[in-house]
Amino acid sequence: MTPPTLSPGRPEIVTRGVPVARAGWTERATSADHKSVGLLYIATALVFLALAAVEFALMRLQLIVPENSMIEPEIFSRLLSASVVTLVVLFAIPFAIGLIGYIVPLQIGARGVALPRLNQLSYWLYLTGAVTIYATFLYAAPETGTLALPPLSDTTFSPTNGTDAWIVGTGLALGGFVLFAVNLLVTVQRMRAPGIAWRRAALFSWAGTVACSVLLIVGPAMIAALTMLIVDRRFGGVFFDPGEGGAPLFYEHVGYLFLTGAYLIVVIVAAGIVSEILQTFSRKPIFSHSAVGASLVAVAGLGLLAWMQSMYIAPLAEGWTIMAMAFALALLVPLGVLFFSWIATIWGGALRLRAAPLYALAAVSTMACGLAGELAYSVIPVGWALDNTTASQGDTLYVLVGGGVFGGFAALHYWFPKLGGRLLGEGVGRLALALMLVGIHLYVLPMFLAGLEGQPVDVFEFFGDTGVDALNLIASIGAFVLVIGILVALGNAAFSWSNGLPAAGHDPWAGATLEWFALSPPPPHNFDAVPDVRSAEPLHDIRESVRRRAESWRPPARLERPRPAAVAAEDAPEPAAAATETATEPSQERPESENGSGSAPVA
Amino acid sequence: MLLAATCALAALAVLAAPAQALQLGLEEPHSPNAESISTAYWVMIALSTFLIVAINAVLIIAAVRFRERRGREASRFSAGRGALRPVVGVLSLLALAIFIFGVVITADVREVEPSGPEGLSAQPTAQVGVKGLPGAGTVETTEAISDDAPTAASPGESAPLEINAIAQQWIWRFEYPGHQPSSPAFSYGELVVPVDTAVVLNISSTDTLHSWWVPSLGGQVQASPNDVSQTWFKADEVGRYPGRSTMFSGSAYPVMRSWVNVVEVTEYQDYVRQLADDLSAAQEIVATEQEKEAAE
Repeated sequence: MTPPTLSPGRPEIVTRGVPVARAGWTERATSADHKSVGLLYIATALVFLALAAVEFALMRLQLIVPENSMIEPEIFSRLLSASVVTLVVLFAIPFAIGLIGYIVPLQIGARGVALPRLNQLSYWLYLTGAVTIYATFLYAAPETGTLALPPLSDTTFSPTNGTDAWIVGTGLALGGFVLFAVNLLVTVQRMRAPGIAWRRAALFSWAGTVACSVLLIVGPAMIAALTMLIVDRRFGGVFFDPGEGGAPLFYEHVGYLFLTGAYLIVVIVAAGIVSEILQTFSRKPIFSHSAVGASLVAVAGLGLLAWMQSMYIAPLAEGWTIMAMAFALALLVPLGVLFFSWIATIWGGALRLRAAPLYALAAVSTMACGLAGELAYSVIPVGWALDNTTASQGDTLYVLVGGGVFGGFAALHYWFPKLGGRLLGEGVGRLALALMLVGIHLYVLPMFLAGLEGQPVDVFEFFGDTGVDALNLIASIGAFVLVIGILVALGNAAFSWSNGLPAAGHDPWAGATLEWFALSPPPPHNFDAVPDVRSAEPLHDIRESVRRRAESWRPPARLERPRPAAVAAEDAPEPAAAATETATEPSQERPESENGSGSAPVA
Repeated sequence: MLLAATCALAALAVLAAPAQALQLGLEEPHSPNAESISTAYWVMIALSTFLIVAINAVLIIAAVRFRERRGREASRFSAGRGALRPVVGVLSLLALAIFIFGVVITADVREVEPSGPEGLSAQPTAQVGVKGLPGAGTVETTEAISDDAPTAASPGESAPLEINAIAQQWIWRFEYPGHQPSSPAFSYGELVVPVDTAVVLNISSTDTLHSWWVPSLGGQVQASPNDVSQTWFKADEVGRYPGRSTMFSGSAYPVMRSWVNVVEVTEYQDYVRQLADDLSAAQEIVATEQEKEAAE
């Protein structure tokens, strides 16, 4: 290539200041590109999934025989205090955020996000929070239980700095999530491509929007409660000090509001993922796009209003518990519509049983178990009997593992080619799914029976006289199988990231939504051009019109002169081939990019 | 999916062996409120099991029947206007029915039944001298759980026996209504109550959150440091019923257990009298010791 020379008489047009992609780590750490931040979120969240799984396995190891003294009570309390915050705050929410942050801008045909630096800051706040929480294991890990409920989290009962670090770390991570939610809501509001009305927005984008709205409600509330807690602990506050007229019950309200919100985020994001995957792999549109979208909104609204469903045993006035029961039972309607729509989407289709839809089916099946169980616990007397037992805990785990892990890995299998251009290993993925399915049922069913016998949650030992020995043994084995399955799935993802089979093209599944219109992995500006969107399945429309044009194409009438047969054959499919290339593989090198003025520079 | 289904079945088969020896219901109820809870449990668990089996069965059928096969074309239908209306209608009715059932059964659990013929006879609650609770608790907050619990007994019926159950790390303290306020009677760990008698527990805590739960005698109640929650039971049989706290309360939380010893009425009266006597004797000894120390 010859160096550019100055040719007098012709104006020279030069682009300056185009950032050049830097070497791997620097680019990863400093890029404000939503895809880069999304990948960081996903990778970090998966690391914390591994940690949560190992902590869970250790706790089950302690509970494998009655009155086991393998792990000291203090150590067990530390594992317990770390495990739930890890599973919920450091894995489930950020993993959902990573997927949302990566995929939703692509699905709405945006060239970036509205507030990229805020997006980037949100990740670093999350990571800082996570490190703050885990650094406590170096000096004094908190022993305050899953939610750090006062008065147990007062300085009287938890004097160490570890509890402060837990509060601050959780608050920092939540602060990050709130910033992310702000960024995403602005992005979906302002940056949807022309033609993408809400009724045409992909269902995962709906789910992402609803999940971020939930985050925007519960996040600041929980941050406020955590702030009050730290004021109580270190600055003489009496917000939750019962001796001084404070109200520990208030923290309980906010804490359960937050946990309910996190639970709903897992359900809603998993619902979005499942809706996308079942459509793509059964080659059918979702049974009812508007009903699923509306159901996601209803699940969020009703579910949040039902936060006291987790607090039936707390000293609440009778009317409040009845109200919570009403909202919790009303959830039956939108959740039922979701399950009905998914099954009706499979019905009549041609379901390709690749790993992604298998994970999606496992997510639907497991979430059905968890959510139907939750229906039972919503009736107040059943809640009085079984809340805070291993029965209801197992039920919650059905939803967190079904939605967060199965749904999450379904999304990974589905979008892995988009993220890195490679396929996530099918065979190992199926093996991991089988292990996890066996593990979760083998854990939850005995734990349900033990809960009926009265085994409470969070205990570091159980007693031989309570008749739950065999159940705990089976549950521990189930937990180990589950954890091994999770670790195999994680190893599979780590291995496939650089060693997986290359995906067949940029759109290996023939997806119908706009993210498959971009290259895999997408360039910094996502799209050179965004097609006209006239339905919820823009890519399906393009394929259809290409097919129709190819079918109806006839040689132009004026070409009457007979031509050599070979030339005619070569000529005939040309328009179709050209159009297909535009549809599925938008060429990067297209000379006149229609929109060169995106937020990121054209490469 | 077939693989998954097989695995799930295998998991069930492994479970089936020990499950035969196990109960599938709550612990055997020995009190009217526990019986209502048990009814609610059976109704709801049947419904949930039905939903779980139905959804999973239809899901597996759909996935197997409509999997990709050579020659199968996906029929690209989607819902027409109002297609989901019957689904929404059925689900709404079901939710409404469960709600009504829930409200009725909840009221049933809360309602304090009068003591039976073999129970302790009327004991005016006014004389309970130990109601003032340690810590910040005040009697004002008593209405927290149920408005109708202790005062519902009409004049003709016997008022329920009121006992304060106060949690602390990691043991329960039970304060019995004394025969005279000057000689209190309290015990730790084990609650002794007369059979066939309505017992109302005023539950609170002196430190962290705990919960009261004796599965055979009713549901869980949270013990909070500045609220008094109430629950009740009427044990129908003499016996010793185990219970445990279900709220994490620090490192020794698993040992936060409790027992309710249900005895005949006379035995209960003797027990409380004995407690009161022992305690006053002990207090006298302490007082004389202190006097001695002061004199020295």
